Order: sequence, then C-alpha cells, then structure tokens
Amino acid sequence: MTAMRRRFELVVVPFRASWRAGVGWSILFFVTVAGTVAFWPAFEGSTGIMDAIDQLPPGLLEAFGMEDFASPAGYLKGGLYDVVIPLMLAIAGVMLASSATAAEEDSGRLELWLAQPVGRVAVFGGRILAVLGWLAVMALVILVSQLASDAAFGLEIADARIVATVTLCTLLGALYAGLGIAVAGFLGRPGPVLAIGLGLALVGYLVAALFPLSDVLDAWAWLSPWDWALGSDPLFKPTEAARYVALAALTAALLLVGIVAFARRDVRSA
Amino acid sequence: MRAPHELPDLAPAIRISGLVKDYGRVRAVAGIDLEVRRGEVFGFLGPNGAGKTTTIRCLLDLLRPTAGRIEILGLDPRRNGPALRARLAYAPGELRLPERGTVGQLVASLGRVRGGLDVRRRDELAERLDLDLGRRMRDLSSGNRRKVALLLAFVTGAELLVLDEPTTGLDPLMQHAFLGLVREARERGTTIFLSSHVLSEVQRAADRVAVLRAGKIVAVGAVDELQGRARQRVEVWFTGDLPAAELAGVPDLTAQIADGRRFTAVLSGPIQPLLEVLGRHPVQSLVIEEPDLEETFLELYAGTP
Repeated sequence: MTAMRRRFELVVVPFRASWRAGVGWSILFFVTVAGTVAFWPAFEGSTGIMDAIDQLPPGLLEAFGMEDFASPAGYLKGGLYDVVIPLMLAIAGVMLASSATAAEEDSGRLELWLAQPVGRVAVFGGRILAVLGWLAVMALVILVSQLASDAAFGLEIADARIVATVTLCTLLGALYAGLGIAVAGFLGRPGPVLAIGLGLALVGYLVAALFPLSDVLDAWAWLSPWDWALGSDPLFKPTEAARYVALAALTAALLLVGIVAFARRDVRSA
Repeated sequence: MRAPHELPDLAPAIRISGLVKDYGRVRAVAGIDLEVRRGEVFGFLGPNGAGKTTTIRCLLDLLRPTAGRIEILGLDPRRNGPALRARLAYAPGELRLPERGTVGQLVASLGRVRGGLDVRRRDELAERLDLDLGRRMRDLSSGNRRKVALLLAFVTGAELLVLDEPTTGLDPLMQHAFLGLVREARERGTTIFLSSHVLSEVQRAADRVAVLRAGKIVAVGAVDELQGRARQRVEVWFTGDLPAAELAGVPDLTAQIADGRRFTAVLSGPIQPLLEVLGRHPVQSLVIEEPDLEETFLELYAGTP
C-alpha cells in the first residue's frame, strides 16, 4: 500500500507541476479544432474557395493533405489532421517531456526526489507517466472537441474515423515525447531534448510530406513515423493494427532506453 | 548468534574506501578512505571545490564513483538505494525547490514518498526554525530555503543525517537552533555527517573531523586532537628583563619577537616547558589565545603539518 502511494505521488507531483502547460495546450487544441470545424458550413457552400484550391499545384495540395478538401474527411485532413494537430501534439509531447525530466534535473530540482527512499526508475518513470497522462488528456480534449464541433456545425463523418485519427496522432505525439525522454535519459539538459525532439519531429513531417512527391523517394516515405501514423488516411478508411503497434512499440523502446540510460549515469547538479 | 542478514547493522554508519570520482579529465575526489562511527557527529571540512559535495552525492547514489567502495549502514548505495535512503536523510547544500506550492505542501508530499510524516515533529521544527509552512516556495529567501532543507532532514527521524553546508545563509540565532537540533539528534543516537567550510561550525558541532583538500583527506581526528595540533599565540609582559636566552630554548616556540619587556611567539607544542621558564621570572601579564582550528586548518593547507 505504501509502495503504491509512493509511486502515485511520484506521478502526481510532476503531473501537477505541468498543470499550466497541460491546460494551456488543451485550450489551444479546443480552439484549433472548434475554430476549424466552425468554418466548415461556410466552406462547404463556397464554390469560390474550392475553385481557388483547385488552381493550386497537385504536389502542394498533396503535401498539405488538401487533395480532397471538399469532403468532410478531406476538410479535416487538410485543416487539422495532416499537419496541425499531429505537429502540435509532437511539440507538446517534447516540451512536456523536457520540462518533466531534463529541465528539472538541470535546475537541480530532481535531486530532492532522488534523495528519497525510491529508485531512480520510479522517479523517472513517474515523470514519464505524467507526460503520457497529459497527452491522454489532450487526446480526450481533441476528441471531445471534434465530436461536439462536428455535431454543432453539421460536419458528417463517422465517429470511428475520428477516434482512430486522434489516437494515431496522439501516438505520434507520444513517440516524439518518448524521443525527448530518451535524450533526457542520456543528457539531462533541456536544450538537446528540445532540439533533437522538435528537430526530428519536423524532419519526420517533411519526409512523410515530401518524399511521396518524388518517384525516387516515395518508396522511402515509410521511414517517417508520420507515415506510419497517417499514411493510410485514417479519416477515410480503417487503419491496419500494425500502424498502432509500430508507433506504440517504438515509443515504448524509446522510453525504455531513456529509463535505462538515466538509471546508469550521474545525476547532474545545478 | 546473529543471522547473516542482521550483520549489516553492526557496520559503521559510513565506510568509504579508495573513493575516486572523475568528471572527464578533472579528478574531483582522488582516493578517499573514511569511516564514520554510529552515533557520532562527523565534520567533513574543506574549502569550496575540495570535493565535499561530490563525495556526498556519491553517498546518495546521485553520482557513480569512478573507483572505490562505499558502504552506508552496511549497505551498498548503488544496489540498496531505496532501502538505504529510507534510513538516511539528506539536506543538500543548495536546495532547489519546486516553483509552485507552499512549503507545507512539499513537506506533505515528501512525507507521502517517505511513507509517513510526523506532523507534531514537523510543527515543532517549523516553530524552532521560525519557518512559515504556508509560505510559497518561489518567494523563499536562501536562508528560508536552508530552513526548509533542515526541516526536511530532521523531520524524518532517520538514523543518518547527511547535511551539506547546513548553516550557510542562516542568521546566528538559527545557527544556534541548528546546533541544538544536532545535539538532540546525537543524544537520540543519530549519526550526523556534516560538511562545512565554516570551521567554527564544525568545531562546535562535531566529535571528529576529516579535512579535505583537493579531493584528498589530509587529516582525520577528534576535534580535540586537531586542536592539540593547533598553534597558540603567546604574549608575555615581563616585569623585569626579558629572559631571551631561556625562551629561545623552549621547544616548539617559534616566531619569537622580543620588544623591550614584551615578548610574543607562537607555540605549537606542549605548554609546560614555557610555563617553567615563565615561573622563574616575574611576569606582569600573560595572554595565550584559544587554539584556533582555523589556523590549524590553514597550516594543513599550507602543507606544514
């Protein structure tokens, strides 16, 4: 019982410490989702906007997921789920991971908890769970905002497609949070965590968006986790289970690497 | 006969052998051997950068030694970290607190992590340290952060307290309160490992002391012993002529200056031979300064034992 309570406290403390960031991101997600869906009725009835989009080069439309902008699924893909939401989740994941682990260690605040009768894995693991907890909260906010907005603004799309898409985007965000945790496990400095985490999130997007435009590189688009998450167009059709598994497995591997690295090295002092 | 698993209880509070810690090419701790007995207050003395905090962070398993072996209460900090840290409490030199919440919330949270909090003891300590538990942590001065660190250490009732520079930033009144807490803990049988660069603090609080220089221990002994090695300044005013020749023959009496009837020197040995000389001559006044640990300390640093 005591051991459970200890572990719970080690999750609650970092979760509470990220309160402002978590709530801030959640509000931003709500505004982004509801704001985008709110334009659907106007967009649907405007042939002028559709014509203007049709004038854009096909490559550009594909890169931004706007090739089927006139359908509800295409509108959501181009407006939210091809770039905006997954990128926001990746940024949120990396930033939360950095502030819960590397930034705390760099400032010397982690030492307070590591000097208690708990193992390093429990302290670091508690922080990982806090980050994943906030990502789950954000996923729920996105999901509820999307479903409620769809109903309010008459955007008809199957709930299952929305659930799948939000889940895949969240797994992608968790993967980049896991990358941040892995870097934090080795270095314990927020600079490299943010640079590597955000840098690779951007590279991943560019690979998934731009490689398909090239006949040579198209075959290599699978290298990007963005392609794993969104390459099967989850808003349009069911997604293979392997895509979920691949994202979750790589995330778990990255988290494990971070935990093992952190357990083996010196803890930085402020 | 004791079962083997009970044997660690017989071990010293801290046993360090051949401890080395390198940071890249910099050797912060260069081979420390040390034993701290159960129930004693042990001073770990040295200037900033001597390796005190590095050694302490190795004890807490925050740092991994490059070489050497550490045993605390008979346990290996690396392998038995949580079990060991349940029996010790640590007050870091510079306590970094969470930015949000109050002191009371932090104490409660750490109490939950430690598996219990003695609320009466917490309130008693807060009163003695003049610490408001309702204060927000981000508003605390360095002195108040120090008080929080001390409260968090002493509230645990741990067998071993590791205190890194515990009185830095405390006013004299609070330093006095701290010494009271140390005395009481010692009476309860608590072992206290106290690092400091403040000599008077160690002099007042510790039973034994180790002096650390550039990552190595240059002296270990009882505070009394260290004082025995100390130099004492002597000043004598003679009523009549100054017996210069006889004084020159007193062993360990150096830096002799004869100025009329006034004589000054530094005594670094037993006082009896000097008293015998003085007893043979009329003396108007005699001043022998209290042995100063600081002078002894500085001597050790000058490389003249």
